[in-house]
Amino acid sequence: MQSFQENLIIYANPEKCLGCHSCELACAVAHGDGSDLLTAVATERPLHPRNRVVVADGVTFPMQCRQCEDAPCTFVCPTGACRQSNGQIVISEKNCIGCKQCAMVCPFGAITVCSDEPVSEDSCTNRGVAKKCDLCTEWRAKNGKADTACVEACPTKAIHLVNLKTYRKALIEARARELAQSHRTVRMPF
Amino acid sequence: MNERPSSDPSVLELLPIANARGIETVFDRYKTQQPQCGFGSLGLCCRVCWKGPCRIDPFGEGPKYGICGADRDTIIARQLARMMASGAAAHSEHGRHIALALLEISKGKLPDYKIRDEAKLLAVAGKLGVVTTDRNILDVAREVALITLEDFQNQDQHKPCNWLTATLPAKRMKRLGELGVLPHNIDAVVAQTMARTTVGCDADATNVILGGIRAALADFDGMALATELSDALFGTPKPTITAANLGVIKPNAVNIAVNGHNPLLSEVICDVAKEMNQAAIEAGAKDGINVVGICCTGNEVMMRHGIPMAANYLSQEMAIITGALDAMILDVQCIMPSLPRIAECFHTQIITTMDENKISGAKHVSFHEDHASETAREIIRLAIAAYAHRDPKTVNIPNHKQTAIVGFSAEAIIGALSLLDAADPLKPLLDNIVNGNIQGVVLFAGCNNTQHEQDASFVTIAKKLAKNNVLLLATGCGAGAFAKHGLMTSEATEKYAGDGLKAVLTAIGTAAGLNGPLPLVLHMGSCVDNSRAVAVATALANKLGVDLNDLPVVACAPEAMSEKAVAIGTWSVAVGLPTHLGTVPQVLGSAKVVQLVTEDAKALFGGYFLVEPNPELAADKLFAVIKEKRAGLGI
Repeated sequence: MQSFQENLIIYANPEKCLGCHSCELACAVAHGDGSDLLTAVATERPLHPRNRVVVADGVTFPMQCRQCEDAPCTFVCPTGACRQSNGQIVISEKNCIGCKQCAMVCPFGAITVCSDEPVSEDSCTNRGVAKKCDLCTEWRAKNGKADTACVEACPTKAIHLVNLKTYRKALIEARARELAQSHRTVRMPF
Repeated sequence: MNERPSSDPSVLELLPIANARGIETVFDRYKTQQPQCGFGSLGLCCRVCWKGPCRIDPFGEGPKYGICGADRDTIIARQLARMMASGAAAHSEHGRHIALALLEISKGKLPDYKIRDEAKLLAVAGKLGVVTTDRNILDVAREVALITLEDFQNQDQHKPCNWLTATLPAKRMKRLGELGVLPHNIDAVVAQTMARTTVGCDADATNVILGGIRAALADFDGMALATELSDALFGTPKPTITAANLGVIKPNAVNIAVNGHNPLLSEVICDVAKEMNQAAIEAGAKDGINVVGICCTGNEVMMRHGIPMAANYLSQEMAIITGALDAMILDVQCIMPSLPRIAECFHTQIITTMDENKISGAKHVSFHEDHASETAREIIRLAIAAYAHRDPKTVNIPNHKQTAIVGFSAEAIIGALSLLDAADPLKPLLDNIVNGNIQGVVLFAGCNNTQHEQDASFVTIAKKLAKNNVLLLATGCGAGAFAKHGLMTSEATEKYAGDGLKAVLTAIGTAAGLNGPLPLVLHMGSCVDNSRAVAVATALANKLGVDLNDLPVVACAPEAMSEKAVAIGTWSVAVGLPTHLGTVPQVLGSAKVVQLVTEDAKALFGGYFLVEPNPELAADKLFAVIKEKRAGLGI
């Protein structure tokens, strides 16, 4: 049996995020046909980011798919295009009919149905398929990158691709340091 | 990102030394800026008011309009027009400085200056319609200065600037007049461009761009008058043999670099350096004072006095990193604010001189023309004092130096041609263009830009066009690149020119007593001297009775970066020249603006922008344009 593995997390530090949207542009380009931003815009490629920089209650940072373990999107998908695979939610675009149910049930609003191809008006299909963050799995493998496109693009290094194990260890150690500090002052008599 | 930052061997040699000492250069700063903002690169970020910044989504899902309601076309057109106005302001401010100096000289003031080229002043006066017979030269100078200053003062909107009328072909003036883009007053059109592009004003992209073009033509006016009056004051450049690249810095001399654009100070520095040579020798520098040039101040003194060129824009910091530069004297434009920080690691004295161009960390010695020699002496004393603090352990002068034959003003080119046909000097050039020995002419201009491997695009395009028998002219940092890479020599002509071009350059060079061909690339001066190339093209057009856009003449700025380059590129298009840019301009976010500066410009002006970052392809495209122009002329 395959051991359970937590997916990588895109961690955003709201204190460092300036809301510049550079991660959105990088995301859209990384999921395009391989051309750079200037070429993509000059040739009118209709690209779409999989993340969104949001501002709520004065806090700004990018939001994207959380790769849920018990994911509503996989349950509602009528064609099985949206499913768990290797600890991530993947959408097989060739099997997606663009019904938008996944987009509606996603608790984070992380799924968009759209097309990255130009569509002619008299076409039978709008070519729209569900798109969401894939942690740049394909893009990283193809380009030999350790980080996702959004992480690379962030000018203030507000976004990081983190392994939960490392994250948890840092968290535990930080709390442990605080506890140790307070225990030194408290000096309980047992 | 480029595989290597520069193709200049001096830079490649000094960069590891800088890195080992933890000295951050422009090439490091470029890396720390990556990735650069996509909205800014596309021109889709608007910052003209404090409701902003507003950004337009390039992919169409997010915001389509700024908060005020401006669309992508308006935002990009406004931004571009403002860059044109800024470029025009820079060149014309330089021009005004020279014109005001000429006016003072005509009143018998400014004893440190004189009119060194009276013939040039008289020729200029003739073009401006000033009576010259039986007149005192200072009287003529005064009238020329006043007519020039009228280009900054005239309030009659229907009367175009004097220098435009005096320098462009009548056909071109008519066409520009009909399009309503002729400036009447340089200052007024710069102000108007700023006014119409502020929040809530001109929101029609076409109208905004046409306004910007008027500012760009004011840039041409400012640069034409700056160049021509500088020639009258300091001498019209004549061919001279000198050298280029950091190897021109001497280990046993007090090395003083002049960096910037304005010749008013550097000319006096050159004079005073000769007087003070002994003081430097007494201070222990057995080779005395060695003045070297950087950027366009470098081009100015190189063209007129054969002062060797140390560096162009992107390698200006490297001059300090040689450890043997004792002072760098700065005037205006394209001066890196990082220079004093780098100089902190060495003994180099960084001296700013213009009251409106200071850099924190540099020593400021205020320069005014009425005390020019005195100021120059003070500056040179500082350089000699700094020499005593030079640390021999930090000296690394790269052994790279190329011969450069420079000084090809329009007058020098016509002069060289007159050796073949004294009665009709343009005839040999025209005959060779017609018979195909020379297929066309390209003017290389513009900057260095960290987006490109330094100088590499210039060299690649030049070699390819030379092979195809295209006559190569160059100004600014392009000229610096060619000088450093040894393309301003007879040997380069032997090696790289096609047979037709080689035959013509050899005939002229031999007649001029060079014992070989003219150099492969003719150095026409600093970036403010681009008007020299227009003067040659105008003479050709007038002789043929055609307009500039009919000629097989193109412009090429493969590494453009500054606002001045935006202005130059735009007037180049407006006077009718197909103009290549190797840097993708920050306009791709608006298909409309892209169309305006390419296809629409071609229909309206005959000139247009041709954007191609790949130098090999750019050379092919430029040659195809030259062929097309030849076909148009039936040759």
